[in-house]
Amino acid sequence: MVAPTRRLGKLHREGRAAYLFLSPALLFFCVFLILPFVFAIVLAFSDWGGFDLGTLKWAGTSNFRDVLSFNGIFVKPILVNTLLFAFGSVFLATFGSVLVAYCIDRLSFQGFWRVLYFLPVVATVVAIGNVWKMMYQPAGLINGVLNKLGVNSIGFLSDASYALPSVTVVQAWASIGGAVLILTAGLKAIPTQYYEAAEVDGANSWHLFWSITLPLLRPALLFVLITQFIGGLQSFALIIVMTGDGGPVNATNVAAFEMYQRAFKYGAWGTASAMAMVLFVIILAITLLQLWIARRRGEETS
Amino acid sequence: MRISRGIKLAVALGLLASAAACGGGSGSGGGGDQVELTLLSHYSDGPSKEGLDKMIQEWNKENPKIQVKSQVVKFDDLLTTMTVRQTGGRGADIVSAYGLWGGQLLKANVVAKVPDDIAAKIKAEYSPAALGAVTTGDTLLGYPTELNTYVLFYNKKILAAAGISKPPTTWAELADAAKKTVQRDAKGNIQVEGLSLIQDGDNKSVHPFLSLLDSAGGKFLAPDGTAQFDDAAGKAALKFESDLAAAKATNPSISPTKQFRSGGVAMAIQAGWWIGSLKTQMKDHYSTDVGVAAIPGPTPGSKGSLAYGFFMGVNQRSKHAAEAWKFLTWMNEHKTPDGKVTETGKWLADQGLIPPRTADQAEYKKSLSDPNLAPIYDAATYAMAEPNQPGAYEAKTALHNAIMGVLADGKNSDDALAQAAKAVKPQ
Repeated sequence: MVAPTRRLGKLHREGRAAYLFLSPALLFFCVFLILPFVFAIVLAFSDWGGFDLGTLKWAGTSNFRDVLSFNGIFVKPILVNTLLFAFGSVFLATFGSVLVAYCIDRLSFQGFWRVLYFLPVVATVVAIGNVWKMMYQPAGLINGVLNKLGVNSIGFLSDASYALPSVTVVQAWASIGGAVLILTAGLKAIPTQYYEAAEVDGANSWHLFWSITLPLLRPALLFVLITQFIGGLQSFALIIVMTGDGGPVNATNVAAFEMYQRAFKYGAWGTASAMAMVLFVIILAITLLQLWIARRRGEETS
Repeated sequence: MRISRGIKLAVALGLLASAAACGGGSGSGGGGDQVELTLLSHYSDGPSKEGLDKMIQEWNKENPKIQVKSQVVKFDDLLTTMTVRQTGGRGADIVSAYGLWGGQLLKANVVAKVPDDIAAKIKAEYSPAALGAVTTGDTLLGYPTELNTYVLFYNKKILAAAGISKPPTTWAELADAAKKTVQRDAKGNIQVEGLSLIQDGDNKSVHPFLSLLDSAGGKFLAPDGTAQFDDAAGKAALKFESDLAAAKATNPSISPTKQFRSGGVAMAIQAGWWIGSLKTQMKDHYSTDVGVAAIPGPTPGSKGSLAYGFFMGVNQRSKHAAEAWKFLTWMNEHKTPDGKVTETGKWLADQGLIPPRTADQAEYKKSLSDPNLAPIYDAATYAMAEPNQPGAYEAKTALHNAIMGVLADGKNSDDALAQAAKAVKPQ
């Protein structure tokens, strides 16, 4: 039997070795995550036009007052757009991916179907955005089909009432592949005995899905929901590719895009950082809410 | 109140750590006693790149101890590239920038003060429109380079077919021509737009509006950055646009740069550089179909335009500012072999742009190869210079959103202007 002091010494040595092995990853996180985060917090309370740190001035909470003012454009329409975009794309993508994953689980050549639905995830956002942009054009594929059905062309990206839903659909479509992959793995983890026992008890397909599949799929669904929400709230590239400037008239302008514009176009780094902090708090709150709801329902998420 | 030194130091260390992690080097340097200057611009292709490269090569040949190296990016990436490189300590020695950005570049200590002797020469030898477009407050940002003014482009054939023999000279005539030339199919879709009030790219709806505002005697921003576009002149200009939109004679979803060439747009308020594109795209049809006139004002005889410009200045952080000014002075002042105009003036005129130097303008006006250029050159004498104080870019975006709200969504023009004016913050 090893003496306690020798065991403690061994533990310390192992701890040091562990930290040594972890240090490259920790350094990476410090440089690319912690430092920029701290810098963003400092900037959120400053007035800085970029370029020269010597021009950094303390601004107190004025950036937050500007950002959260109802006279400005950040709360409405930008934050509203961001939430609608995130909720809409998550709802569509989750509903679509559950349906697709459930169907794939009951088909032959499952690998082929999974690859097919995963392809949009592999494609770049620029390619996806441009293809959909072309399809949405007045003379594009979608309007061509509508015209054949006797419906007038719709300005999917030029009409303020259609632009945000149009971009939301593309975000959802592009997200389905990744979610399908996770949910398929979740479906595979459900023991078949449960289904067999339920069938013996006379359960139909709907009962099987509602009472067995969905509850047991909850951990995978929770992961999908959280990651999709964060992705949706931070979305930026797709908006730039499809609308160029968050238009028409800010109809598709979202928080991440506005931050980019404020910082890199207008040189208003303080306002941009304050927006980033507001978005960070919103994402954190929504994520915690999702975890809390899941835990309340008895789901072990830790 | 200045931020505390401790925080500044922490931030600086943070940035240094990030920069160290990202790697990077000095924007300029050189071995021995040779100096290498870097010049960042958006002259990335075609005649603009060829002309600049030719001048740089000539300089490098004549000045072995001061070598200039050109760095180019697309215009859409220029400001972002400047921001990132400058923050990372790798800014170019010489920056070529859009005048609109002048205020924020000045506020952030990016551009160095123009030496007094050079500033005096520039102020004496360049046109007021060019100077106005590259001056923030009382500060000259550098040598004016590109200069563009706004005019009315019209399709002669479409106007003639509508019974209009000469370009409109008042807003009433302009509105009448727009309504007469618009054509729609059975479903109401516009086949020919009467008057286009937007353009592609960053300026969208603002420059055409500001040209109309200028024709009505209005102003965009006050020197302190407060909005002035919501006065009677601004309301009249936007009401004019709003009425055209209500009459469906203008439609912001139609892109003039794509539709005008094929007869899909009867008239458009556009910048002078468009001539070069139209010549290339329309070939023989250009001379028979395209006419250019001054943008009319609300009353007979009144006209308006907007002038915007680019400049080349020296980076405040450049270790070789003297050499950079030496090169810029040579570049902007040395003449062509025939001695008639400056090489830079020729380089710009060859691209269909107005040379900013008064003497070059006068020389080119003597023998304009294209009568359509005359109104563009004339506009340089009366155009409103685009304001460029800090916050001007944001003000421009707020104004654009207001205009598009009126043109695309049918919002009340007075309300839209008032909302935009509220969003403009003096800095």
